[in-house]
Amino acid sequence: MTYIGIIITFVFINNFILTQFLGLCPFIGVSKNIESAVGMGFAVTFVMALASLATWAIQNFILVPLNIEFLQTITFILVIASLVQFVELVIQNISPALYKALGIYLPLITTNCAVLGIAIISVQSKFNALESFVAGFAAGLGFLLAILLMSAIRTKLDSEWIPKPFRGIPIAFITGGLMALAFMAFDKALLTNLIG
Amino acid sequence: MNDILRIGSKLALICAVAAISLGLVNAVTEPKINQMREQKLMNALKQVAVGMEVGKYKKVADNPVVKGYYPLRDNSGKQKGYIFDLVGMGYGGDLDIIAGVSTKGKILSVVMMNDQETPGLGKEAENPEYMKKYIGTGEISPVPVRKSQLSQEEADAITGASITFMGIGKALEAASDFAKKEGVE
Amino acid sequence: MLKEFTKGIFRENPIFIIVLGLCPALGVSTKVINAIGMGAGVIFVLLGSNIFVSLLKNFIPEKVRIPSYIVIIASFVTIVQMVMEAFAPALYKSLGVFVPLIVVNCIILGRAEAFANKNTVMSSIMDALGMGVGFTLALLLIAFIRESLGAGTITLFPVGSFSGVIRIPVLADNPIRVFGLAAGALLVIGFLKAFFNWYSERRAR
Repeated sequence: MTYIGIIITFVFINNFILTQFLGLCPFIGVSKNIESAVGMGFAVTFVMALASLATWAIQNFILVPLNIEFLQTITFILVIASLVQFVELVIQNISPALYKALGIYLPLITTNCAVLGIAIISVQSKFNALESFVAGFAAGLGFLLAILLMSAIRTKLDSEWIPKPFRGIPIAFITGGLMALAFMAFDKALLTNLIG
Repeated sequence: MNDILRIGSKLALICAVAAISLGLVNAVTEPKINQMREQKLMNALKQVAVGMEVGKYKKVADNPVVKGYYPLRDNSGKQKGYIFDLVGMGYGGDLDIIAGVSTKGKILSVVMMNDQETPGLGKEAENPEYMKKYIGTGEISPVPVRKSQLSQEEADAITGASITFMGIGKALEAASDFAKKEGVE
Repeated sequence: MLKEFTKGIFRENPIFIIVLGLCPALGVSTKVINAIGMGAGVIFVLLGSNIFVSLLKNFIPEKVRIPSYIVIIASFVTIVQMVMEAFAPALYKSLGVFVPLIVVNCIILGRAEAFANKNTVMSSIMDALGMGVGFTLALLLIAFIRESLGAGTITLFPVGSFSGVIRIPVLADNPIRVFGLAAGALLVIGFLKAFFNWYSERRAR
């Protein structure tokens, strides 16, 4: 797959939230207002790109040579957890402003399925280092796009009358379902037509 | 300092115990997994070989679709065709396909080994019935890669899953071309 | 003791009330058999991690408790992966990436942190079973709705001459495909959650 192909695939066609169901908890939980959705989206994109690259290195330089691929799950999650801590420390030191914006979302990212998901999917797709990085970044952008759209819709929903049992989470799910329906327009045929 | 050492060694101990116990479980399950994989491959080869003898696997390096092949010989040892190890592009990722093809490029049999297609749509390709539309093509009539090359009924059956259909078709087309070019190895 | 078990099934149902562990609940609920497999995997991991976390609660240093829990959970997940691949390869394949993702299922880390590290082994076991069964039942409900409407079938285990697939007469020929797709999953869980909201409120009144 070309790099453009990877980007289109992970942002639109295989959008992590709306087609793969990865990263749903923050999608529902942190999409109440646009500001926090954007913060979460950028934090996730950042961590996913790095995590995808880091786990690629772990897989190809440690797990495969030592023939201990069965420890994949355990090493990947530990790498992601440490990476998140590391990113938190770095951001805190170089940019207190950015830390203030993203800081509270970072600890939540360790248990975001999307991060471990992209690490495993990149390995399964046999991506090289740069492809893994691009895939992680693109999947993160897809997450950002979905959560941003969702928060914009939810802000509007706040001023509408909704039957009481549907308020809050249920209407968020239903909105997500309708968004997923719209995202079905992006299918593989589109990619084939665009870049052959 | 002492405190860090104590905490660190406890964490290391937990990790070590976890790694060792996983190693033990792996030692039990790994041979079983390999055996199942081999069994699956053997079954598929037997099914695709249609009674002929399967030769030694040869890797093909310079083809994006054909990963390798086993030559197929009849009882007298004459080569009649190939079993190809193919990788096609599906909707949800790679399609691992095994196909028997005659030396003249005719598709004899097809088995889907591995795919990540949508259940109810592209996943239907795992069903042996699905592959009937490709069988017999490739020598005189072309391998179908477009819906217009199918009967109305067959075209209806793949509605919503044409990417899978085209992916398999294109992989088989490449296999057929490979066999035609190579003839008898 | 029994209360620890029953609370997970309805009053604190992980999916419908606490709304945790959604990714696998939606990702694998296209078939009933997948829901059973996923549920079994989650119950096993939850049981294992709850038991070990409550046993080791005095050994694990406070500062590194989260990494320790993650190591324990990931070990049990890896065991599930290996055993499932060896003994139920078809199921393993259809659950795909969601098997290793049990690691980040918030329910499991959540129970370790919120319950198992403060309670006895016995109540932790009950808590794990209750939460696990509650999760499985929720998954089964979603999978049942999605598979029966979306494909017109109900897929269970093959036993003897029974192929494991029940076909529902009219629906099997005219399935409402959207239920099998991503959009359908989100709609189904949205309506179910609304129903649970409505029901709990009515009961409270």
